[in-house]
Amino acid sequence: MNTRSPLHALRTGALAVVLAVVLATLALPAALAQQADAEPARGGTLVVAMFDTVAHLNPAITTGGSVHAVADSIFDGLVRLDADGTPRPALAEAWEVLEDGRIYRFHLRDDVTWHDGEPFTARDVRVTFEEILLRFHTRTRGGLGDLLEEIRTPDAHTVEFVFDAPYAALLQRLDVSEAPILPAHLYEGRDPLTHEANRAPVGTGPFVFERFRRDDRIDLVRNDAYFRDGLPYLDALTFRIIPDPVTRMLALERGEVDHVLGFPASEVARAGDDVVVRTVPHSAGGSFCQFKLAFNLDRAPFDDARVRRAFAHAVDRATLLERVAFGQGRVATGPISSDLDAWHADDLPTYPLDPARAETLLDAAGLPPDADGVRLEADFLHFPMFTRHAETIRQDLAQVGVDLRMVALDRASYVARVYGDRAFDVGFISSCNNADPSIGVAPMHVSSNVAPAPFSNAPGYRDAEVDRLFAEAATDPDPERRRALYDAVQHRLVEDLPYLWLIERRYHQASTPAVRGVETHRTSAFTRTWLDR
Amino acid sequence: MSGYLARRLLQTIPLLLGVAAVVWGMIEVAPGDPIVAIAGEDGDPAYYAEMRERFGLDRPAPERFAAYLGNVARGDLGTSYRLQRPAAAVVLEALPATLLLVAPALLLATLLGTTLGTLAARRHGSRSDAALSALSLTGQALPVFWTAQLLVLVFAYRLAWFPVQGMEGLRGDAEGLARLADVAHHMVLPVAALTLQYAAPVARVARASVVDVLHRDYLRTALAKGLPAGRVLRAHALRTALLPVVTVVAAQMGFLVTGSVLVETVFAWPGVGRVMLGAMLARDLPVVTAALLLLAVAVVLANLLADLLYAALDPRVRDA
Repeated sequence: MNTRSPLHALRTGALAVVLAVVLATLALPAALAQQADAEPARGGTLVVAMFDTVAHLNPAITTGGSVHAVADSIFDGLVRLDADGTPRPALAEAWEVLEDGRIYRFHLRDDVTWHDGEPFTARDVRVTFEEILLRFHTRTRGGLGDLLEEIRTPDAHTVEFVFDAPYAALLQRLDVSEAPILPAHLYEGRDPLTHEANRAPVGTGPFVFERFRRDDRIDLVRNDAYFRDGLPYLDALTFRIIPDPVTRMLALERGEVDHVLGFPASEVARAGDDVVVRTVPHSAGGSFCQFKLAFNLDRAPFDDARVRRAFAHAVDRATLLERVAFGQGRVATGPISSDLDAWHADDLPTYPLDPARAETLLDAAGLPPDADGVRLEADFLHFPMFTRHAETIRQDLAQVGVDLRMVALDRASYVARVYGDRAFDVGFISSCNNADPSIGVAPMHVSSNVAPAPFSNAPGYRDAEVDRLFAEAATDPDPERRRALYDAVQHRLVEDLPYLWLIERRYHQASTPAVRGVETHRTSAFTRTWLDR
Repeated sequence: MSGYLARRLLQTIPLLLGVAAVVWGMIEVAPGDPIVAIAGEDGDPAYYAEMRERFGLDRPAPERFAAYLGNVARGDLGTSYRLQRPAAAVVLEALPATLLLVAPALLLATLLGTTLGTLAARRHGSRSDAALSALSLTGQALPVFWTAQLLVLVFAYRLAWFPVQGMEGLRGDAEGLARLADVAHHMVLPVAALTLQYAAPVARVARASVVDVLHRDYLRTALAKGLPAGRVLRAHALRTALLPVVTVVAAQMGFLVTGSVLVETVFAWPGVGRVMLGAMLARDLPVVTAALLLLAVAVVLANLLADLLYAALDPRVRDA
């Protein structure tokens, strides 16, 4: 017998309708958000907080992160790198690689003007490289200086880079952070270090410089004549320099700023619902950064690979990542970051946490424990900001009889002791791979770079085979062969351990929910940014 | 009086040269050189060598010292390595922002400290005296960095009465009176942090001084004659009691830069303290020296002012 009354059916139907409406309402914001993501709104000012002051705004004479965080929105490179590192057209609309990688020919856009109205031409590219980048941009100078034979400009909109030998990584070196193009009509024949345009820059980029108050604020406005159609979306971009991390975060939560560069990992878990945290694989200073220990190979007992391997077995990298780096990143396995997956080898030898094995290795290296259980004492140099990392590592090593003396030094002192005087045993280093191993990895390992220069080959590592592999990989235009060369070099380095790679570092930016379209893979991140207010 | 002034000002010249020499020596023996700040990181050795030569950093220390001192004597404080601009200009540009915090803070601290100290002295030995003394001791012991953070958390973050940071709002450009109001609004918390810092020692000195004066015979006489206590205090006691306060306020000028480094960092305030901190970390010697010379001038002027005030307050000094 059917017990259901018509009324019951009606109630059920009504319930279904109500449910459907509720579900639809719940789904609506998500749908709206998707729709909103698809159709950016124009206008508004984005206020960005950054931590470090800016001395000038010429990105071609420095690799400094804070200068690039601002200036990369004012200038352009010949190419721009996509989220996966693929080169895309920017000031160059097309290019050809000729003679097996010995010549790169770039066809420049003919519709680009400088912010002061002058047309952009091949002369700008040649003058920028010859007079500025190859002399003052340390990475471009170090990477291309010895290899580049000449820069030819057959016509106003064609540029050719001619190398002595085939060169593989040029395109990765041409985005705005590595090779911003400056106006020749202002800089040619002038000293780029003291040029007045360094404080009032003229670029081709999405935003035009408006005002610069040191230690306070930098204002940029939209370039209405920008060559990428419809971009940028924002009317203006204001950078506020806020050195204290807590103040930066409170300013974001109170809505005084919209976006924060360099959001501390320690605050990620604490951030409320009104803060959107974005994890990025790079800092303002470079991409794909790693924490590592550098051993001074000129000093006993660190010249003994068994001692270095003992360190590798003793340091609990997983706990370091979880407890000190707040889980923000990955455990590092070798010199090339796993984020550079085209080149990272995933079958490298591993050094699992094994204090007993570490002690065996130290015994074998002739370092038995004394009456107090101490086998070895050493100076451990680090920046004050890495004190907690260093302390954790010190505790791990104390378990196996290694007594590290912590020496916290500010940047200038650290650079002088580690790279200048080489007066250290072990140093804590944060350094970046950048877009290609030839840019950020090779210089830290090749013997020609054992030198009194910051972030050179700190261990003093000299290995002819490693030198050869890096040199060949840099010049081989064939990706398959490059991959094999980088595989070989990674295996050799992980066997030898001139460094102990600890953590692949993630960085954070944070914003209010209204901020959309931040391109976290690049330093000029705001070309597609818009405000959903 | 003008002869005295001129003599005092002339005496500052060797003092300033001395300061320049000491600062130069201190930076010279500190490890690290400005080359990273000038040339950046990841560079090749030839580049660093080139930059050292260009900025004269490759020359022997005595030679650099002689050249530097010669320039300072001529009033040329050199060019900032990092900013490539005259060091004096860099510091002087930031000075108004710092004075905007320090001047009202000193004034308020003097008023607040003197008032609290006098109140405590009048109730000498009472519970409120003990409470005020404890309060001023605590005030003096608390690091200004901490006080500043606390003010931000309570009054900017929780209550949202004031902005968290900066000297001006970033959205839209206020003009005229609106801009003044905006800056004043931004000034409240940093000035409060500095005022609390400066007021505590003033209160302690003022209390001790007033207590001391109140026990002197001429005041006992005045009180014995039946004059009202408040009037005795205002007309007779304060004038004498304020002398040590003048000294302590002048001495606070010495903390002008140290206090402002911390407060300016917390509030992202673009003043001399921020300039000096950045310059020290970058080993930007000309800017560090310029900032410290400015501080030395401030201390000298503050002491001069204190002496003049002493003379105004105490006829014995004036007539001597």
